[in-house]
Amino acid sequence: MDFSYLMKIAGPMLEGAVASVGLFFICIVISLPLGFLFTLMARSRFFPLRWIANIFIYVMRGTPLLLQLLFIYFGLPVIPVIGQYLRFGRFMAACIGFTLNYAAYFAEIFRGGLLSIDKGQYEASQVLGLTRLQTTWHIILPQMVRVALPSLANEAITLVKDTSLLYAVSVPEILHYAQTAVNRDLNILPFVVAAAIYLILNGILTLAFKQLEKKFSYQ
Amino acid sequence: MALIQVEHVKKSFEKLQVLKDVSFSVNPGDVIAIIGSSGSGKSTLLRCLIHLENVDGGSITVGGKPMVEQGVYAPPAQIRQITAQMGMVFQHFHLFPHLNVEKNLTLPLHLHDKSLSKAECLQKCKELLQKVGLLEKLDALPAHLSGGQKQRVAIARALMLNPQIMLFDEPTSALDPELTAEVLFTMQQLAKEKMTMVVVTHEMEFAQRVANRVLFMDGGEIVEEGTPQQIFEHPQQARTQQFLRTALH
Repeated sequence: MDFSYLMKIAGPMLEGAVASVGLFFICIVISLPLGFLFTLMARSRFFPLRWIANIFIYVMRGTPLLLQLLFIYFGLPVIPVIGQYLRFGRFMAACIGFTLNYAAYFAEIFRGGLLSIDKGQYEASQVLGLTRLQTTWHIILPQMVRVALPSLANEAITLVKDTSLLYAVSVPEILHYAQTAVNRDLNILPFVVAAAIYLILNGILTLAFKQLEKKFSYQ
Repeated sequence: MALIQVEHVKKSFEKLQVLKDVSFSVNPGDVIAIIGSSGSGKSTLLRCLIHLENVDGGSITVGGKPMVEQGVYAPPAQIRQITAQMGMVFQHFHLFPHLNVEKNLTLPLHLHDKSLSKAECLQKCKELLQKVGLLEKLDALPAHLSGGQKQRVAIARALMLNPQIMLFDEPTSALDPELTAEVLFTMQQLAKEKMTMVVVTHEMEFAQRVANRVLFMDGGEIVEEGTPQQIFEHPQQARTQQFLRTALH
């Protein structure tokens, strides 16, 4: 186990890590607001909106992410007539699948956060003349995020690990390069390196969420 | 002319009728204490005044403008305009826990009137905190205040929007006995400045000393109404007499 071998395998794996990190950020940035939108829809007074949100959440949480990825990448293009318009690139298909799936989980986490907020916060906002939008943005959202943060951190860490599912739609990522190297060289080291990369990424994430929790604490 | 006119207001929760044909009026400068046992409908009545509850029937007019007429509500914009003349203080304060005292006071005013500068909002905030004796708590988070301090901040917050009428829903009921005095003192100061106040309270002494009119409610109706002297010293109704026997001892 010499250093030059380590460098040789780490290069492509770090390249793979770029795909994972890219997917992570795209997914987080889109699915958080999308999830909150679904939370609001699920609480809407307008029944069809509620219905759409609840079915979406049920399907996305009730089926494997792997199936959803395969469905989007391999399944959609073979639908008669409209299938030809639903052909996505590998990475794009993965982004769509991950974003929709995580939005459903985030929607449920936010719902839990909203449940924890006292009715009095809404009443105080109302008598102080805040509109519903102002109340949501200035009063409810910050309190909801504080409650939701630990669960969000949990999901974010799961997301980092789930990026290994890129493998299923043949986007080369960390695990792909590790597996190739292990088969080729009959050496366990690439798996160890892969694990190390995931641990480092999640270590950074854990620290970041600790900071966020500090920022949002109001004790 | 009456500042608030309530006529034949009715309100039910499911099958339980909590307000049965309630009528009364509030004149400018009045300090009205609403007393009565739990479940008598007094809090619901107060909440109807500021549209936290919808009435099922009757009329409420504030400052000459009808908010609801014979069970039919005005358009939302008009309701907002009408309720904006009132400030409300809750039993459980309902300060915004994620904002410090300064932001609790300035945020609503800032959102309400974008033309005001930050400095103007802060100036007003400081004046009102001074008035309730909590200027030094400007940067504190609500979690770091005592119950009495929280309620005084809540009063200052309600005053930020220059209400003509202040509504208090059992403002001292959630406080330890030794903390009620500071809140009652603040309210007494307001009364001295001729603020029109409607106070739902269990503090009989406060009702006796500060109010100029007392309403006794029982079973969803106003059973008796009069000056503190009339109500506390010469109650006419049997129900009032019975309530006061238990409440005053």
